[in-house]
Amino acid sequence: MRGHRPRVNAYLLRRAAGLGTVYVLLLAVAAVMALPFLWMVTTSLKDLYQALRIPPQWIPSPPRWDNYPAAWNAAPFGIYFWNSFFLAVTTTVGDVLTSIPAAYALAKMTFLGRGVLLGLLLGTLMIPGQMLLVPSFILINRLGWYNTYWALIIPWTAGVFGIFLLRQFFKTIPDELWDSARIDGCPRLRYIFQIAVPLVRPGIATVALFKFVGSWNAFLWVIIMTDRVELRTVPVGLRFFMQDIGTDYPRLMAAATMAIVPVLILFFFAQKQFIQGIARTGIK
Amino acid sequence: MALVSGPRGRRFWLETVEAYVYLLPTLAVLGLFTFYPFINAFLYSGYDIRTRTVPGAVVHTSTEAGSWIPLLARGRIPEELAAVLEGVGAVQDKLWVRARGANWWILKDDASGQEYLVVQEGALLRVHPAATRWALDPVGGENFRRVLRDPDFAKAVRNTSIYVGVSVPVTLILALVLATLLHRAVGGKAFFRLTSFLPYITPVVAITMVWAWIYDRDYGLLNYFLKTVAGWLGLEFSLINWLNDARYVMPALILMNIWRFVGYQALILLAGMQGIDREYYEAARVDGAGGWSVWRKITVPLLTPQIFFLLIISLIGSFKIFEEVLILLQGPGPEKAGLTIVYYVFTKAFDSKQYGVASAASVILFVIIFSLSVFQLTVVQKRVHYER
Repeated sequence: MRGHRPRVNAYLLRRAAGLGTVYVLLLAVAAVMALPFLWMVTTSLKDLYQALRIPPQWIPSPPRWDNYPAAWNAAPFGIYFWNSFFLAVTTTVGDVLTSIPAAYALAKMTFLGRGVLLGLLLGTLMIPGQMLLVPSFILINRLGWYNTYWALIIPWTAGVFGIFLLRQFFKTIPDELWDSARIDGCPRLRYIFQIAVPLVRPGIATVALFKFVGSWNAFLWVIIMTDRVELRTVPVGLRFFMQDIGTDYPRLMAAATMAIVPVLILFFFAQKQFIQGIARTGIK
Repeated sequence: MALVSGPRGRRFWLETVEAYVYLLPTLAVLGLFTFYPFINAFLYSGYDIRTRTVPGAVVHTSTEAGSWIPLLARGRIPEELAAVLEGVGAVQDKLWVRARGANWWILKDDASGQEYLVVQEGALLRVHPAATRWALDPVGGENFRRVLRDPDFAKAVRNTSIYVGVSVPVTLILALVLATLLHRAVGGKAFFRLTSFLPYITPVVAITMVWAWIYDRDYGLLNYFLKTVAGWLGLEFSLINWLNDARYVMPALILMNIWRFVGYQALILLAGMQGIDREYYEAARVDGAGGWSVWRKITVPLLTPQIFFLLIISLIGSFKIFEEVLILLQGPGPEKAGLTIVYYVFTKAFDSKQYGVASAASVILFVIIFSLSVFQLTVVQKRVHYER
């Protein structure tokens, strides 16, 4: 920095100080964001006596790993995890499969009522899902689906979020591609799934991830449409677990950690798709 | 896209048919599970809706009613009866008495969800598998009158309004600050993005359980933290009973939700900031504008599409608060300080089985959300700056 005039030096210094402040604040925010998670994990490794110590001990010694098997065995968590996984997979596959042709039609085809349909689909975003609880409950009962997997799967196999996101992706494909495929005698449905879909793979990954996580976290719908232990998802199971064991915080936190970890793993591996999904929703 | 001008040709109609075939699965699912219930929500609000348990064919008749009745009256299921029901597919240890009257009992098998009706007729007890029938009677505006006169509903509306009125703007402002910080950071962005996003994707129920522990009066992290800070400042601090003191229930709910959503909103704003053309900043710099005025006069106005989007979705989202209340407070909270509109709907429908009243309340919820959204779309959006 030797040889710079003092004015430039002062400018650099001010910038450095500014950046320093930015980082101090960002680290503080990151700490606040992460603290509940750390608190959860550390509590899950204590015995009750350690957990209730003030000031809290951040590193449990000795760590009580057996809280995990104890929590796992205190409720049928195997069933809960299987249900959450099964429902997340089936609804995600269903949603992606229905969204692809719908999004393609809305992005690339000219047809009667397209504008009206777009408006109608956009309008569903304004309907608060909670408003539909009672009529949906009555409908599911009348269909004879109460306490069945159908009630938990079929209503969630279509979604507006996926359609609008994929529509944006399909729009970026040049029309010439379809024109040449058509000249080669390729039917449109085959073109969509064999040529267009591979081109919008990032979009599909984003839709699938959000849907998967959404299903994994499903709670309200499940407690309304079922009351069998065999159909409980992880969040529903957690709630009953909480009612059963009260304030045994170490075991509660062990259960909470087990519920959160699969989502975290998914997120670590697919950060890019998540962030992209977020950025896209904001822009449009 | 093919330019279709002039009269609509054969190709247009063929394409229309084809497009609707592609849209059919989506429209079928949304039609049945979104549009149809949406219309019914209005319809049902004008009805008194009850369920009746109707008996199926008799599966067993007991002649020794005398020995079963005392047990049933105490909510216990006689072993012989359980054995009988096992014969028709019930699981013994999952059976319980769901409801009872003077001479009848409804037993429920939690394993299959099947219900059984046991009716006493003199010395006989008849056992039937039971089915549920829905009965709708029109009552006009009675449900709305009941909801609007219910002090609990007024309380729910007030609580929800406070919740929305505080958490929506505060979260947005904090998100704007966080996004600005993230935008200015030169390295480690991935790490900060990760930590900001974590609260948003974790299951609500699980993370709310963690917060219930954080809010614990005697051993929770928050009170410990506040006490430590108060100690440094030499202040007195008496432990706050976050979840059992009516004054602190709303702040606890608001705080937790700010934590959950601020990072997500910041990431949306950050994406917007990164999309702003650098030319604007350079022009401002040439004009000698400083950091603060650049932020206030360029960054924020150019972010209005994102801000507007967040305002709408967080408004709709906040009005729907429910799971947090159920898990954090295990009920409506002290003095019903945590009673929200959706909680009201939920308990009216699924605890008191007043489905019509619950429908009326949810219609009111919709009207509130809808008019606020329309207000934003028409009045607020006029002030949105769009680039180009």
